[in-house]
Amino acid sequence: MAGLREIQSRIKSIQDTRKITNAMYMISSTKMRKAREALAATEPFFYTLQSAIARVMRHVPELESPYFEKEGEVRSRIGVLVIAGDKGLAGSYNHNVLKMAQQFLDDTDKEVELFVVGELGRQYFSGRGIPIEENFQYTAQHPTFSRARWIRETLLEKYQSGEIQEIHVIYTRMENSLLSETEDSMILPLRKSLPTQVPANVYQEDFLLQPSPEEAIDRIVLSYVTGFIYGALVESFCSEQNARMVAMEAATNNADELLHNLNIMYNRARQAAITQEITEVCSGARAQKQKTNQAKEMQV
Amino acid sequence: MASFSLRIISSTRVFYEGPCRCLIVPAPDGEKAILAHHEEMILALREGEMRMQIEEGGEWLYAALSPGFCQVAHNRVTLLADTVERPEEIDAVRAKEALERAEEKMRQKQSTREYHITQAALARALVRLKETERFTH
Repeated sequence: MAGLREIQSRIKSIQDTRKITNAMYMISSTKMRKAREALAATEPFFYTLQSAIARVMRHVPELESPYFEKEGEVRSRIGVLVIAGDKGLAGSYNHNVLKMAQQFLDDTDKEVELFVVGELGRQYFSGRGIPIEENFQYTAQHPTFSRARWIRETLLEKYQSGEIQEIHVIYTRMENSLLSETEDSMILPLRKSLPTQVPANVYQEDFLLQPSPEEAIDRIVLSYVTGFIYGALVESFCSEQNARMVAMEAATNNADELLHNLNIMYNRARQAAITQEITEVCSGARAQKQKTNQAKEMQV
Repeated sequence: MASFSLRIISSTRVFYEGPCRCLIVPAPDGEKAILAHHEEMILALREGEMRMQIEEGGEWLYAALSPGFCQVAHNRVTLLADTVERPEEIDAVRAKEALERAEEKMRQKQSTREYHITQAALARALVRLKETERFTH
């Protein structure tokens, strides 16, 4: 059995760690509440935006736009926006995002330009010697619309100049409070849905795009990309806090369990030590007694 | 009086959901009014002031809008914009500071990207200020 002192120092160290994980749990749960509110506020926008774009793409007239997918076009360079966390200790949150990004890099034979949000993601890629876009130092904390605008400008500038021909976003979406899912979405170019065969007598709804189709599409795409990036940032931030909260709660529970077991072990060890001491004292006393008795007998 | 159902959604909230008689929005080539049974259309919006009247002869509600778009289909209108704010919600001091900041930046040499951002910030600040002035009068 381990020595008393050793057990005691282990208990002490676990108690200290538990204090930290417990504090982190509390911090992330308050942050989580805020993030949840922001998420609930932005979700209608995020989903309406996506359905609106899908609708536009269904009904779009014959129109050439740099934002639409062209048939037979060779796309050799892809821009990928990876949204990871700034800090670790969030369970498998960062791991999942980075694994998906790595998978993306491994699977594609095209050139990939990485734009990484979150310090941990940057560290991961630079540690592996994978080049990432520098001057793209955005944090994953406090997602705001102006940050989404900056990210959009960076990405669209490259897209419009033809430096990259595709824009993907890898982020984590909150499925519900228990489940979040890492996702890879291609935001540009937009894919036209295939014209379905409509019988001639059915009224084909047609949209008027104003002021001119080109300008309307340009502006809609601009708000779509900003909105999507903002939504992805908010979803990711919320998922991160959620993952951290769950991880820290589990860590605190594990610490409690360990402490419980160690306490039992400590008490046993203490008991054994006392018993042993008593035994030693008793046998010592008895030996002493025998000795004095023998001495008395000798005198007599 | 005929009305249509309207949903105004900004990135942080659902601004309005309900019936509406007349909606006037800022399009890149001027203001546009939408009445009931408007033709199906998708309209790009620039930053500016929008107003809506819920009932015939009712009060006009104003709001400051940042760019977005508006979709009309089957007598339903969905307006999506980055931000939608009522005049009384706008912080005039902050808007003024933002305006000054943007003007300052405009005078400096910038990259194209910075220029776009600053220009948009300038336009937003101007719209906000204009709205707060309306409210205080």
